[in-house]
Amino acid sequence: MHADAEQPQRDQDAQPLLSVRDLQAYYQTSHAGVRRGIRAVDGVSFAVRRGEIYGLAGESSSGKTTLIKSIAGAIRPPLEIVGGSMEFAFLPGYGGLHRAPPAELERIRWRHLSYIMQGSMNVLNPVRRVRSSFVDFAYPHIGGSRRRFEQQVIAHLARVKLDPSVLAAFPHELSGGMRQRAALALATICRPGFIIADEPTTALDVVVQKEVLGMLRGIQRETGSSVLFVTHDMGVHAHITDRLAIMYAGRLVEEAATTEIFGNPLHPYTRHLISSLPRIGDDAPRQGLGGAPPNLADPPSGCRFHPRCPLAREICRREIPVMGESAPGHRVACFAVNQGERA
Amino acid sequence: MAVFLRDLLRYRAEFRIGVALVAAVLLLSVLASFSPYPPDSVYVVPPDLPPSLTYWFGTTSRGQDVFWQLSFAIRNTLLFGGTVALVSRLVALAVGLISGYKGGWLDRVLMSVNDTFIVIPLLPILVLFYFVMRDRISWLMLALIMACFGWAYDARLIRSVVMSLRQREFTQTSLFSGMSTRQILTEEHLPYVMPILFSTTMNNMVWSIGLEVTLAVLGFTDINTPTIGGMIYWANQHTAMVAGIWWWIAFPTITVIMAFIGLFLLAVSVNAHIDPRSRLWSVGGAS
Amino acid sequence: MNGLLLDVREVSKTFTRGGLLSRETIVAVNKVSFQLAVGRPEILAIIGESGSGKTTLARMILNTETPTSGRLLLDGTDLAAISGSGSRRAFMHKVQPIFQNPFESFNPLKRVERYLLMTRRRFSGTAEESTAAAAVDAALHKVGLSLKEVSDRYPHELSGGQLQRVAIARALLAEPKLIVADEPVSMIDASLRMSIVNLFKTLRDDLGISIIYVTHDLATAYYISDRIMIMQKGSVVESGDARTVLKAPRHPYTQQLREAVLLPEVSDPAANVTHGINGPISPAAPERTT
Ligand SMILES: Nc1ncnc2c1ncn2[C@@H]1O[C@H](COP(=O)(O)OP(=O)(O)OP(=O)(O)O)[C@@H](O)[C@H]1O
Ligand SMILES: Nc1ncnc2c1ncn2[C@@H]1O[C@H](COP(=O)(O)OP(=O)(O)OP(=O)(O)O)[C@@H](O)[C@H]1O
Ligand code: SF4
Ligand SMILES: [Mg+2]
Ligand SMILES: [Mg+2]
Repeated sequence: MHADAEQPQRDQDAQPLLSVRDLQAYYQTSHAGVRRGIRAVDGVSFAVRRGEIYGLAGESSSGKTTLIKSIAGAIRPPLEIVGGSMEFAFLPGYGGLHRAPPAELERIRWRHLSYIMQGSMNVLNPVRRVRSSFVDFAYPHIGGSRRRFEQQVIAHLARVKLDPSVLAAFPHELSGGMRQRAALALATICRPGFIIADEPTTALDVVVQKEVLGMLRGIQRETGSSVLFVTHDMGVHAHITDRLAIMYAGRLVEEAATTEIFGNPLHPYTRHLISSLPRIGDDAPRQGLGGAPPNLADPPSGCRFHPRCPLAREICRREIPVMGESAPGHRVACFAVNQGERA
Repeated sequence: MAVFLRDLLRYRAEFRIGVALVAAVLLLSVLASFSPYPPDSVYVVPPDLPPSLTYWFGTTSRGQDVFWQLSFAIRNTLLFGGTVALVSRLVALAVGLISGYKGGWLDRVLMSVNDTFIVIPLLPILVLFYFVMRDRISWLMLALIMACFGWAYDARLIRSVVMSLRQREFTQTSLFSGMSTRQILTEEHLPYVMPILFSTTMNNMVWSIGLEVTLAVLGFTDINTPTIGGMIYWANQHTAMVAGIWWWIAFPTITVIMAFIGLFLLAVSVNAHIDPRSRLWSVGGAS
Repeated sequence: MNGLLLDVREVSKTFTRGGLLSRETIVAVNKVSFQLAVGRPEILAIIGESGSGKTTLARMILNTETPTSGRLLLDGTDLAAISGSGSRRAFMHKVQPIFQNPFESFNPLKRVERYLLMTRRRFSGTAEESTAAAAVDAALHKVGLSLKEVSDRYPHELSGGQLQRVAIARALLAEPKLIVADEPVSMIDASLRMSIVNLFKTLRDDLGISIIYVTHDLATAYYISDRIMIMQKGSVVESGDARTVLKAPRHPYTQQLREAVLLPEVSDPAANVTHGINGPISPAAPERTT
């Protein structure tokens, strides 16, 4: 019933819902007169198709949240968009939410676009009961009688396995996982066409997490919406995403169908990431990546992974590898892979 | 705090208007120091003159220059409001911080005192005081009495903020970093309470000035110290409106209304600025 | 007293919640008992349902929440008897926390190094500034950071993973005997997660620190912990040797948990799509082209 009327079925593939082109987003800080740029997102391009769940994983502090914030238009100093564009199908012509006029933003928020930010438990107003947050944010967009709205909220909470009694609680009276689910319910109750979620299930136990992912998947299928999903939990990616991109030091290093990433990872960083995952019943010691994480204020030259890469060669130090299609739909930015050598 | 004020100035028109109004009123009160006449002498200028170039706001039936009289009056009135606000803020802050952070029996005791002050009706008490004390009532005493009644509601507000801050993990981190209670309250929590303190100060001043003017107009205060209410009281005594001396009443009224609107706008805009609703889309920055 | 670092005896905690009209009582923790021995450092994992009282239990061990009934003893001292700043500091010298949400662990209005320096100053005895900075730097190096990277930064200027590592470094500065870590790795990447759980192992083996590790990640719990406790609705439903419990769970809830673990592998692409959907599938769902 909420299906987007303005979504013509035929150009589903032709026009992606979101296309990001060569995005550069830096934190520009000036310290004692010295300007310093943290290049948290540096030349990222990808597209999210209609009706797909696009996953994003990568090293901690590789710029995932920065990328998400830029896309969601939550750009505050010192974050600046230095270059590139982000084109939404429902907001054509502006090249990003940050360039759109406030009236347009009002129109698309909640209905077309909903952003669940990292640490999203903090969205709930700490001094008011959870019910007030729902009334404040979602009621204006849903309307109808308060009674019906309340019922709708309760039904929606049930989908994330929350009891209606949480509505009467203050946020600090809920456990971390309960808060996270309340925030997630709040962000999805208007059934937006595009959901951007930054680590929305980190505080949930695996049983509830599975339910919540089911809910998200359900909404996504019912409304044909798209989801951009960031998490460190590779199990979640394997379970829910259609395509998966891996980020390292402000750049995408690999992108492919999720099955491909798990079945045939190509980039040395991706390979390490996949092999470092522990499993129940497997006692082999696992190691974290050696070497120092890259400093984004002064990133390594050439391929940013070269100081830690087992396959690094001369060219990696000098030149920046571009994303090349190693197989249809499988893009990798690595000289070793693109020249046909594999470890 | 500096960033906070800068953002307010930049993004909120109400705040700018409020600042302008309050600044104008403050300027008038500062001018009192340059008055050619002492505030309490009468018949220093010809009485009952309408506003003119020599006497900008006219003169009163008691032979005082309305402009200079007004500058004394507004200074005293603001001083009064400021004193009430300052004293009651200090009490509200102390009670709110301690009650909210400590909880337990201390909280229950403080809050029951608090509730008592919230429910006692203030006006009858003040009138009662007037009849008991008569001429011995000074403005400072009146200010202290009002301060006793002005902190209770805001202490509750501060308490609720501190209670929610206490639940946040960073308070635990501070605690386990070895900070003392005093350090946690003054260094970690106070910055969050400052905006509230600021906006309630404005509301509190509006409240106390309004009450003082009411009391003074009715003659329940020390009428020999010039205040806005005192001026209107004297004007009424001389039936200024009937006699057509409108400027004696109009200028004090306009000034105090300017002060009210100015303070009110400051309070409203600060409130809107700290409203947690704007949190939702505000990420990536300290709040 | 009889060689117990931590002795948790039948502790319970109840909360009341809700408005004036609809008050309800919640038993967050229900008669939980367990012990940690002195001189035999171990990693105890606590796993359980969301809202099953893990955080509440952790808070009671940290003495920031008082139990409704039952007793907790640390090194023979009853936590309920701790009062006054001296004994409180002595307690914090032995037990340090690491929290769930790194974004909430530090005051957003303050620089993070403040907490590191403060901890060092309060718990090391010496008050020299230069050695304090060096000690902070050393602690940060243990978690793969350096003082240079975090100095002068506010919490929002660091990523989740960086913040969590700073939080661990801060706890280490107090040189505690027990660390209570509430979901310390839920917000960091898989590789770093392994570095941190390996770090926990090192803390246990080299520094003799016991760790209570609250987590939702069964795989890392299996990987590092010696013992495990499974909680549901406030009670411990199963406990024992971590490997045994996770390999052959007995209690139905543990079995359910074990089955719900999402494996980081895609065996059958079709199964991937149909998993875990509880709503009706609308016929209008768009065709998928992968
Ligand atoms: N407001 C800021 N000012 C300065 N630097 C910042 C700011 N926010 C983030 N950074 C830096 O930008 C880099 C990328 O951070 P970001 O939060 O995007 O990482 P992430 O990939 O989301 O990491 P995580 O998985 O740990 O959440 C980090 O090095 C971080 O320190
Ligand atoms: N201050 C409080 N007031 C009222 N109820 C509370 C309070 N703190 C916790 N609770 C309730 O106690 C129960 C246990 O919460 P707790 O935070 O211990 O769960 P948890 O196991 O840590 O969950 P999660 O895995 O989601 O973090 C929950 O039902 C919660 O609502
Ligand atoms: S480009 Fe070179 S350094 Fe970079 S990942 Fe490939 S082989 Fe390693
Ligand atoms: Mg992030
Ligand atoms: Mg918890």
